[in-house]
Amino acid sequence: MTVSINGVGTSHFGKQAGLHPSQLIWQATMEAMTDADVSAVDAVYLGTVFGAPGVAQRALHAMGVWGIPIITVENACASGTTAFHEAVAATESGRYGCVLAIGVEKMTDAFDGAIHPESTDAEGRSGLALPSLYAMAASRYQALYGLTDHDLASVAVKNHGHAVHNPRAHHRTPHTVDEVLQSRMIADPLTLLQCCPIADGAAAAVIGRPTAASHVAVRSSILRSGAPWDHRSEHVWGFELIAATAAAAYEAAGIGPEDLDVLECHDAFTIGEIVTTEALGLAAEGEGASLLRSGHTQLGGPQVVNPSGGLLSRGHPLGATGLAQIAEIVWQLRGLAGGRQTANPRIGAVETMGGGVAGVDGNACVVAILEMISA
Amino acid sequence: MTTTPDPRPQVVRSEDGTFHLIGSRCRSCGHPMLALPPRCASCLEPHVADATFGASGTVWSSTVVRIAVPGRTPPYALAYVDIDEGPRVLAHVIGHDERVAVGQRVRLVSSSAAGDLTVQVLS
Repeated sequence: MTVSINGVGTSHFGKQAGLHPSQLIWQATMEAMTDADVSAVDAVYLGTVFGAPGVAQRALHAMGVWGIPIITVENACASGTTAFHEAVAATESGRYGCVLAIGVEKMTDAFDGAIHPESTDAEGRSGLALPSLYAMAASRYQALYGLTDHDLASVAVKNHGHAVHNPRAHHRTPHTVDEVLQSRMIADPLTLLQCCPIADGAAAAVIGRPTAASHVAVRSSILRSGAPWDHRSEHVWGFELIAATAAAAYEAAGIGPEDLDVLECHDAFTIGEIVTTEALGLAAEGEGASLLRSGHTQLGGPQVVNPSGGLLSRGHPLGATGLAQIAEIVWQLRGLAGGRQTANPRIGAVETMGGGVAGVDGNACVVAILEMISA
Repeated sequence: MTTTPDPRPQVVRSEDGTFHLIGSRCRSCGHPMLALPPRCASCLEPHVADATFGASGTVWSSTVVRIAVPGRTPPYALAYVDIDEGPRVLAHVIGHDERVAVGQRVRLVSSSAAGDLTVQVLS
């Protein structure tokens, strides 16, 4: 059974201290439901990490969504994409006909700086803030593959350049390599402009069966949790989980990485995009930086990665991010992405990676393959 | 603050003055672990027993945290260390305000006053 994304919507992304989480959800949900031309759905899956208990019902009941199952899921940074994945699976199985997937996070309610490490986790209690988890990967890559600070900064330069054309992004200022490298060091070798900003936001998608001849079909969606990441692991954190999830998503969709026209992937930190594009099969392991040097993944290139500006520029309200990535790919496939529109894309991919548990190669990874079916 | 016990790995001092990491090892397959789970994470057999590892290891990667983390004063150096014949573990690096080279040999020392597992670079 073909499952399609019939509507998407997002709030603005950024520090929005004056807004209630319900207001963020309302903005995203109303845009998605209007886009899909539906006034009711059969079920709701909402992804959030730090959301208060009842964050979904508090917002949805007030706008007349009640009586149906409303389910809240948590999967670290992949919470929104997990809500999407479950909505797709529930529709595909025939359990529901039309499902709303929502992601939301009011980060400024929880933190005034970086996310606090989790005190019940061995590494969190030891002071391993999330930037330092990625910094460990960056240090390893620099030692093994000669990845330079300039290469790392190139990811931020590219994605900040894309975000200039995204009116919903948190940061829309272009930056040079020098500016990126001269910004404050956060966790060696990652500087401030190589780290995604704390942002508030929500995003939503209406999942169902195709309602028009032209539609965005979900070719595949795969959700996995990571294997142990320990002394036996030769790859940096997350690589094997992303590679395994992507391989399964390609197989289910019957395509390969060479068939992708546009991608949104998890660039919470610059090294993340380099490792992820390798795990997705766009470049060989250790050669991810070549995609940046050649312009392959830059707007105008053949396989644009993070045309929205990515997490680095859009901001990273954890639960909202995955559905914002879905919304961006849907807009790209429908030709609605304005100044950041890629050239006639037909197949797009979304990848989200969530982590934070010591000794686990990622709490969750979702890879989804979307295709524009034209009448 | 949580009532959950401190989840950080601990060390024990040997009679010769060296420090060893307290963890566990599967009696069926030999897999070394940090926690003491009800069954082996690798072979799933329920025969996991206390074990100690060390006293040295090799740096897998390293960074220096320079941002504010609740209850801590930056900067501090961290490393993933593959303990000899043991698990990979996150440790603070004493006396270092820069990254430690991948492949550098280190030895376990007494945990810090804050309770963090700590290693020292071997010259």
